[in-house]
Amino acid sequence: MSLLLVAPPAPAHFDGSGRYTHVACPGTAATRSDPVNVVFGTWGTWGRAESQVETHVGWTATSGSTQHFLDHGGCFAQHAQRASGEGSRFHVRIRGQHWDSGFGWTAAAGAHHEDLVLFPFPCGHAVDANGPGGSGFDQGRDELEARFRAAGHETSRAWWGNTQSFKQCDGDYAASDGWTLFVRLHQVNH
Amino acid sequence: MRILAPFALLASVVALAAGDGGGPDGRLSLEEARSFTGFPLFYAGQEVDGLPLTAILRRDDGADYVSFVYGDCEATDDAGCAPPVEVQVWAACRRHLGLYERGPPFGPAVERAAVRGVPAAFLDDGARLELQTGRSTVVVFAGARGRALRIAAALRSADGSIPAGAALPVPDQGALEGSAPC
Repeated sequence: MSLLLVAPPAPAHFDGSGRYTHVACPGTAATRSDPVNVVFGTWGTWGRAESQVETHVGWTATSGSTQHFLDHGGCFAQHAQRASGEGSRFHVRIRGQHWDSGFGWTAAAGAHHEDLVLFPFPCGHAVDANGPGGSGFDQGRDELEARFRAAGHETSRAWWGNTQSFKQCDGDYAASDGWTLFVRLHQVNH
Repeated sequence: MRILAPFALLASVVALAAGDGGGPDGRLSLEEARSFTGFPLFYAGQEVDGLPLTAILRRDDGADYVSFVYGDCEATDDAGCAPPVEVQVWAACRRHLGLYERGPPFGPAVERAAVRGVPAAFLDDGARLELQTGRSTVVVFAGARGRALRIAAALRSADGSIPAGAALPVPDQGALEGSAPC
């Protein structure tokens, strides 16, 4: 009988220095596109994040452009994305990150609500501008927080201050309020 | 689905130049910024480092700041873009250096400094500079440390009372820890 031992990688850490997604690599200040505003942890592999977003939040559409995340000095394409539909919608991009000896498996994510802008010219998806309910970035994060908490997941927030404004294709600006959501995922996939 | 306001960028530039009133989209004219009384505002003039002032944004939804955007960029479908320089001025009761005490890995790494005579911090490898002055926190997004320092050197009060290059007012009592009243 053979015994397969599966051990986690050597102690390391979650790298939170990449606080934005990028439209291309290498990731520089000029290629920033969205703030990273959600981190999945404990069993936060990108596959579990994807699965549990589908189950607890109901976002199952997979369309959207590819963006890139920074991790330990490297720049990598997202692993997955999920959205609540094809028109105006919630949307999240997910990238599995480094194992953390305290927080377990981690995945970084950029969530937002975006409108489909068609008039006076077809612009496409534009993140909601800052407004009374927060920006589209804040709305996306808040929706994930509410749905995961309702499903019994532990959540918390940390101040990252990544509030840089991002111009959208309709000419409006959107920015995170600087607070990043941490969500603990469970091992069981759905 | 949103119906895009026609020629939003053009309208904003015209409004900025003409001193037109701020609208429901959260944009301010320079005149409105100059008379803003919520907390002292600082900006880098109508042009800095070769970049024109292109927009002034007001946000007050929990996040409480006025943003001065310099230069432009081209956003596309499903991909926003970062203007080359932005100066955000926050109420210090909402944003202050004390928020960074958590440190890595779950908070950002902070390099403490003194700039223009006030407590400051570099973040994001120097691409972001935050200064605390009076009851305001000035956040410079500049892409690189050298540019961030040039923007900081150009900061002046929006009401004209503090010129570029002069020492900035020291933080109000409690402003560094966020205990100053809003």
